[in-house]
Amino acid sequence: MKLNIEGLLVYFPYDYIYPEQYSYMLELKRTLDAKGHGVLEMPSGTGKTISLLSLIVAYQRAFPLEVTKLIYCSRTVPEIEKVVEELRKLMEFYSKQTRESNNFLALALSSRRNLCIHPEVSSLRFGKEVDGKCHSLTASYIRAQHHSNPSFPVCQFYEEFDAVGRQVPLPAGIYNLDDLKDFGRRKGWCPYYLARYSILHANIVVYSYHYLLDPKIADLVSKELAKKSVVVFDEAHNIDNVCIDSMSVNITRRTLDHCQNNVDTLHNTIHKIKETDAAKLKEEYRRLVEGLKEANVARETDVYLSNPVLPDEILQEAVPGTIRTAEHFVGFLRRFLEYLKSRLRVQHVIQESAPQFLKDIYDKVCIDRKPLRFCAERLQSLLRTLEITDIADFSAATLISNFATLVSTYSQGFTIIIEPFEDRTPTIANPVLHFSCMDPSIAIKPVFQRFQSVIITSGTLSPLDIYPRILDFHPVTMASFTMTLARTCLCPLIVGRGNDQVALSSKFETREDFAVIRNYGNLLMEMSAIVPDGIVAFFTSYVYMENIVASWYEQGILENIQRNKLIFIETQDAAETSMALEKYQEACENGRGAILLSVARGKVSEGIDFVHHFGRAVIMFGVPYVYTQSRILKARLEYLRDQFQIRENDFLTFDAMRHAAQCVGRAIRGKTDYGLMIFADKRYARADKRGKLPRWIQEHITDGSLNLTVDEAVQLSKHFLRQMAQPFRQEDQLGLSLLTLEQLESEEMLQKIAQVAHQT
Amino acid sequence: MDEEPERAKRWEGGYERTWEVLKEDESGSLKATVEEILFQSKRRRVIESHEQVRLGMMRHLYVVIDCSRSMDDQDLKPNRLTSSLKLLEAFVGEYFDQNPISQVGIITTKNKRAEKLTDLSGNPKKHIDALKKAVDSVCAGEPSLYNSLNLAVQSLKHMPGHTSREILIILSSLTTCDPANIYELIKTLKSLKVRVSVIGLSAEVRVCTVLTRETGGLYHVILDESHFKELLMMHVKPPPFDLETPSTTPFLETQICLSLGGYFCPQCHAKYTELPVECKVCGLTLVSAPHLARSFHHLFPLQAFTENSVEEHQGDRFCQACQGELKDKTIFTCTSCQSVFCMECDLFIHDSLHCCPCCIHSQIGP
Repeated sequence: MKLNIEGLLVYFPYDYIYPEQYSYMLELKRTLDAKGHGVLEMPSGTGKTISLLSLIVAYQRAFPLEVTKLIYCSRTVPEIEKVVEELRKLMEFYSKQTRESNNFLALALSSRRNLCIHPEVSSLRFGKEVDGKCHSLTASYIRAQHHSNPSFPVCQFYEEFDAVGRQVPLPAGIYNLDDLKDFGRRKGWCPYYLARYSILHANIVVYSYHYLLDPKIADLVSKELAKKSVVVFDEAHNIDNVCIDSMSVNITRRTLDHCQNNVDTLHNTIHKIKETDAAKLKEEYRRLVEGLKEANVARETDVYLSNPVLPDEILQEAVPGTIRTAEHFVGFLRRFLEYLKSRLRVQHVIQESAPQFLKDIYDKVCIDRKPLRFCAERLQSLLRTLEITDIADFSAATLISNFATLVSTYSQGFTIIIEPFEDRTPTIANPVLHFSCMDPSIAIKPVFQRFQSVIITSGTLSPLDIYPRILDFHPVTMASFTMTLARTCLCPLIVGRGNDQVALSSKFETREDFAVIRNYGNLLMEMSAIVPDGIVAFFTSYVYMENIVASWYEQGILENIQRNKLIFIETQDAAETSMALEKYQEACENGRGAILLSVARGKVSEGIDFVHHFGRAVIMFGVPYVYTQSRILKARLEYLRDQFQIRENDFLTFDAMRHAAQCVGRAIRGKTDYGLMIFADKRYARADKRGKLPRWIQEHITDGSLNLTVDEAVQLSKHFLRQMAQPFRQEDQLGLSLLTLEQLESEEMLQKIAQVAHQT
Repeated sequence: MDEEPERAKRWEGGYERTWEVLKEDESGSLKATVEEILFQSKRRRVIESHEQVRLGMMRHLYVVIDCSRSMDDQDLKPNRLTSSLKLLEAFVGEYFDQNPISQVGIITTKNKRAEKLTDLSGNPKKHIDALKKAVDSVCAGEPSLYNSLNLAVQSLKHMPGHTSREILIILSSLTTCDPANIYELIKTLKSLKVRVSVIGLSAEVRVCTVLTRETGGLYHVILDESHFKELLMMHVKPPPFDLETPSTTPFLETQICLSLGGYFCPQCHAKYTELPVECKVCGLTLVSAPHLARSFHHLFPLQAFTENSVEEHQGDRFCQACQGELKDKTIFTCTSCQSVFCMECDLFIHDSLHCCPCCIHSQIGP
């Protein structure tokens, strides 16, 4: 259908539209008009992706000079593929309606592992291996060597691409990863480099968060993307953690040992080169004297996305003399390494700020702040000069040098924590140096600064106002949309008491309490008897889950549950978990019924959807607070309080509730789906917890379902499940939660939509 | 209210805002809306029963009763098993009333096994007796969908192709214990044209959804006891007849037989004490004349009457059947003789009479 969104003609590839999709597009259009950033929350399964794509594509067509590119960031490869498929549908609709071939180019980009077609390289299993191997076949000096000695192996796909691929742009169309590979095979071009090259002139790019947020990758891939782009972060409820992870560095003894080897290799190579080709090193020296002018010019002319690891100041200066020659730099690295080793030889926990660390390093080994800053850049230059084939081997050295640059650049927003052992195993010495980023805004700042509009969207972003605060930006629109439903297909229940009136809670004091554990078991047992097919139960942590399950086993509860359903458990091992998941789905499919015990913040809670019968009920045992004793967390909380005036408790609750919402949201993936959401902890009934759940869940929690006993919950669930099992057809939704074009354009409906929008 | 004696108790149900449905008319009276609601509920019944298609008249139906642990649940009174068996008794009676030349068999499943309670036969008494006896049986273990379906198919697959093969499952448990992949069995059922319907007593189970969708059956989940009864009675009516099935034998080579303490087959003179039956000797299907007559209406169902409003109707405002005044807003007109009926009579004609009295009258009359 064709929609009119405040004067913009939007092609929408379906015959029906949800009212909330309409309001979503409205808000989105206003954000684009204002050329600002937006935070939009809309429940999963209501067609967020297609609304986003339809509107932005329409906008691009209407104002080709205002918005030149859409950068769509998603989390996982399957999600990326889904986005591309939606886009394909949209484009087919366009060409059918307008009867002209549009020259739209859209493509997905992923790592080499997913895109490589080289027969040897693509057979490798790990991403790092593929990257390393690819590099050893495509690096410029390898190719130069190949030139003089044709028996030297190179990647023929890359050669072919380099020879002709750059002149001929990728023909317009929609390319997912497989399409790119097919195209590459047909032409004999490397799909990875082709994609990386093509994103510069593509209209739509779909890739992972890391290509924008991780400074190391963003610098390679995304720095030349046009300024007038719209950036969308989908499923962005965890974006602050992604930012923090991309900037944090953990150094263990193993890293240091690796690094030591790296440095030795460097030393030997330099020695060798000196004997054979001293001119090369001299040439590098000369370049370093001139400084990083090139990069500086580029940044000033605003061609590149800025890189937080490469701070502005160092661009204006030449590399300091102390590390300019290769031998000196290696010596410098050695010293730095020895210093770090000595720091790891501690018996107690040390926490210090970056300036403290710098002062200490100056006192002990006389390393100044300035050369440290250039460390990352200098190492890169050296690796280039020495023509080291396998970059992957040097990850340890790169890590250390990045750490050196970061620690000397940012005096705020980072903290250094050295722990001699892990908390759980205090007897085993395993020293770790955490260089932990506490301010997610550092990593995302360049994105906000560079791009015209950044949209942060997800199914669970409540409370909305906290994201702009922790990411430090000013959105022009913030909105939360609910699901309009023809039948209430979600049933959130807060179970606060057992049948014996014992309060249910996972709080620290009652963790070991036998009565609580028994009542939790009782709840699961009762539910397993009345909920059909699949139940997913989430615990707050692996340790807690292990304790509880062991206790249930002793009390014979597990045996009783197994009479109703099979039990599968998520473990920290990825292979085991995916096996468990597969079997779980099989058991749901053939009617045996199954329970999946998993952990909030685990793999299952984040990435896996339990549509329809795979998740008829989600039970959340306890409130998934993050482990509050961790020093990194404590430091971050302190920082949040000092810098952003966010109280510790507020942040902890916010974090716990967003994970709880993520977990229970796994069950409802659309309007025809239905599911129970059981919050088994009496603390959920409190207003401060409940108020932080997304609006679309909150509005279905009635006062009557706030503090239920297990029995009451069972009664309500039984009733709910029977109601939901009644036939439900599309006609029932029409006009209420599903609209045709005529219905959408009626005065009455527009008013209704406007009314709902005003509430937000 | 008398109309719904078996509805769940008020306090067991959910919280309903019953008053919001009611609206006062200009004079402040509620009567109009109440009547409207009652009228609507009757109308719904009319519409549902009016999907006129040619229906099969010879049916072979296996009823599978779940006797697993979950049948002990007391949400139906006194428990699920007793309540279901009682309703099934009524069902069997009604079934033979409407489908006299059809047959029923009963299978129970518990402890991961399936057992035949009664074989396929056309004698309602035998089934009702067996059902009465089954009340005392112990509910234990898990049911097995696979085993029960397999057991039913073993006998159903020998039934002639022109009759319908059906399985109706009363499933209370949410789990099933199967010895092999049930999806293979579903394929077999589909190829044998066995229609499987399920009535769930607790919630929607995925495998049942697939099973019924693939085999063309119905899947319903009960809300309460009266709804259960409604759903069960829905299966009394024969399913739509598949016209594309080439009937292997010429349609119903039936003969009426002598009756003297039994019936003789007209072809080979074998003696049978009950009808309908397939002759063991020559394979002829034996039925009696009244059976045939009563089954006949499924084959040529009465056309649905057209619905008009009273205002449009010219002529006397009297129902041709009951001679009462037409008070309702809508009237029903027979498509062939143009006679007018009130809604009550329309229901009666379509549900019980199966022929329009005025058409018959004009045929017999002068």
